[in-house]
Amino acid sequence: MRVEFTGQGIYLADLDLWLDPREPRPRAWISHAHRDHAGCVHGEVYATAETLAFYRLRHGDALAGSALREVPYGQTWELAGARLAAYPAAHVLGAAQLLVEWRGRRLLYTGDIKLRPPLCGRATEIVQAERLIVESTFGLPIFHFLTREQARERIVAFARQALEDGRRPVLLAHELGRAQEVAHVLCQAGVPVAVHSAAARYLPSYAAAGFPAPGWLEWTGDAPPEAAIIVPPRLRACLALRGLRLRIAYVSGWAALDNARARTGAEELIPYSDHADFEELLELVEAIGPQEVDVVHGYTDAFARILTLRGKLARAPERPRPVGDNG
Amino acid sequence: MDRLAAVAERIAGRSGRLEKIELASAYLRALDDEDLRRALHFLSGKPFGPRDPRRLAVGQVSLREAVIAASGWDAETVRLSIREVGDVGEAIGLLMWGRTEERALSLAEAESLYAELARRRRAADKEELLRECFLRYRPLTLKYFVKVITGDLRIGLQEKMLEEAAAAACGVTAEAMRQAADRAGDLAEAALAARRGQLEQISVCLFHPADFMLARPIASAREVPDPENWLVEDKYDGIRAQAHVAGGKVVLFSRGLADVTAAFPDLEAALERLPGSLVLDGEIVAWREGRVLPFGALQQRLARRAVPLFLPLEAPAAYVAYDLLLRDDRELMERPIEERRAELERLLAGCRPPLLLAPQREAFSVEDLERLFQEARARGNEGLVLKRRGSRYEAGRRGGAWLKWKRPLATLDVVITAAEQGHGKRAPLLSDYTFAVRSGDRFVNVGKAYSGLTDEEIRELTQRLRALAVGRAGPVLIVRPEIVLEVAFDGVQKSSRHESGYALRFPRIVRWRRDKRPEDADDLDRVRQIYETQIPSRA
Repeated sequence: MRVEFTGQGIYLADLDLWLDPREPRPRAWISHAHRDHAGCVHGEVYATAETLAFYRLRHGDALAGSALREVPYGQTWELAGARLAAYPAAHVLGAAQLLVEWRGRRLLYTGDIKLRPPLCGRATEIVQAERLIVESTFGLPIFHFLTREQARERIVAFARQALEDGRRPVLLAHELGRAQEVAHVLCQAGVPVAVHSAAARYLPSYAAAGFPAPGWLEWTGDAPPEAAIIVPPRLRACLALRGLRLRIAYVSGWAALDNARARTGAEELIPYSDHADFEELLELVEAIGPQEVDVVHGYTDAFARILTLRGKLARAPERPRPVGDNG
Repeated sequence: MDRLAAVAERIAGRSGRLEKIELASAYLRALDDEDLRRALHFLSGKPFGPRDPRRLAVGQVSLREAVIAASGWDAETVRLSIREVGDVGEAIGLLMWGRTEERALSLAEAESLYAELARRRRAADKEELLRECFLRYRPLTLKYFVKVITGDLRIGLQEKMLEEAAAAACGVTAEAMRQAADRAGDLAEAALAARRGQLEQISVCLFHPADFMLARPIASAREVPDPENWLVEDKYDGIRAQAHVAGGKVVLFSRGLADVTAAFPDLEAALERLPGSLVLDGEIVAWREGRVLPFGALQQRLARRAVPLFLPLEAPAAYVAYDLLLRDDRELMERPIEERRAELERLLAGCRPPLLLAPQREAFSVEDLERLFQEARARGNEGLVLKRRGSRYEAGRRGGAWLKWKRPLATLDVVITAAEQGHGKRAPLLSDYTFAVRSGDRFVNVGKAYSGLTDEEIRELTQRLRALAVGRAGPVLIVRPEIVLEVAFDGVQKSSRHESGYALRFPRIVRWRRDKRPEDADDLDRVRQIYETQIPSRA
């Protein structure tokens, strides 16, 4: 199977199928609903039901001319002589890996993936393949994240302690994925939460999937209620409110490094991510057992070299893009 | 050390000054005397006390080699990891995650490991010891064990806050602890004395150098809102030196607290005639026919180990005294400057070269200051030092009770190429700027500055710079070169740190040149020219 790494997405020429393209294309697989993967309207879109729901929420009427093909997890479908199937990737609700079987060879594209079970959503399923395209957002051995149990404990303890100290707890969490997980665990623990509108719009989908945040309030950016406030990092400027005693935590893979404090203004760092940490990435590659690995996203050169030193045939086909806020 | 690391981590995780101090003092209070001493040294980023002559001599290269050997990661992965983390101690803790025996480490054991590191001479032997340490102790402990080696914990616990924490832990006031720490030159010593209720007995010790009080630079007289509140002296271009004199013995300590007496037998002879015991602060200058000569004339003296007394000296030296810290066992650092000055004048009444009293003048307006500045320059001095009326001698501090005003060499128009967040109240803003001059069609860095703009300007610049971002290297935001600043500086040095080969000394931002475009910035030739023309004035 021919695989082209174009910098604007990965192109499977034999199927005329683009994987997470960053420009409009005739036919696309969308692994999950984050903006850098699902930011464009395409002619024909394959994705899971949850991803399509978020995709519709984002693009609305602009999708009128698109054909949206809902793909259930684990079910095989045919395209241009290949057999395709989606498997859970645990990253955010709806995230999926794509397995492509073509002429007796199996290619697996992970999209963004987490190996340990997430706070919300399905656990990743291990699928074996001869050829692997894997992400490496945290592909350096400095990234070590909390398990979901440890993260739940830290998040709840942080909010309770802040309230006890007379501070308003603020949790900086990515608007799709982490924000809903944080809201879910805090509500389950009986801590009232106010969720910034940018993240609140995704809460009903999480509730429908079995991860509710009972009693959550929407926060539109004015005087916040007596509750733990959940805000996407990119919108933290809205916290510049006078007279409020805040205590800010940053829930992210990037919170594994102390320099996250200076970057976000957070005091407390909670290194929990919807991506695999370094050990998980190694474990994932071992379990999939590929003969050939392409590394995309993040520390691609570094992670490809580490895999090579461990005896894998690995390479970083694209130039790395600047690291963003969505770890 | 495990506990210290855990506490340091909690201190880093609180931004409130009082919360940090409270966490530190609660920890210190529970320690026995020996551990209190160690913890205060370690928390201030030092393996030993400030008077201890031992040096670890462990550089970044050795730390990197040791972690490569201990972790098994390849050199490139380690290099990248350290760059992304931005702190070698933190990076080592993370790289050793899950790879150590997780043995406990006490403060006493940590101290003896530092002693052993200092004792080993060869880099390879130091690296071997570090490698063993990295494999043995807990990752979080390693993080802070290494931060003490690199000299900065980076937990936002400034020296003053540590003093307050020690004061609270020992049951004395912060002010009393601070003064005793200044006199002793070591906070740990003051804290132990405080525990014994003997804080008052700490005094400046003859023949032990105390830290020098330092002056904060200003760029113009307009930065002094209240000229009438300051005493004015010339700023001499010489070697800052503390003279300890008692019973016919004289020792001259320079900055860095080195004994330089042997280079100045002429000054030694003049000082030993002074009565009683005393500690003076002043400047060694080259001096001929009532005028100060450029500093370069003295350097050849320092280069020689001993100068014969009766040889004709090409560069006659003088000692210009301007402060008195101790007189006949009376500690004077806490006394106001006027009282110290009066004592000094009585002591040096009628003195002759090579012993001089620095003239002190008064100013009542910005115009007075400007006139005094011009006069000082005409006398061949660098500029002025302003000393706040009523101030005490704040050893080791650049607290703003002394100001120094030197003529900037020139200003340069430079372009911002990278920015970093600041500390404290400026933490969320990009307030540290790396800047460059033009070189052909590229920009090459010549320095870094973090002062001189208003908070409002910094806020605006932060927004502009974020929009210009093209990448990130750890905490540093790389930006497209667009924004032009005018910077003043004290000189140009050769430097291997910047690609340009030059670095500005003490650069500070004069103003944001919104009127200029990057192509209007100065170029490398101009920097080279300043470098070349400044040499004659120094030599």
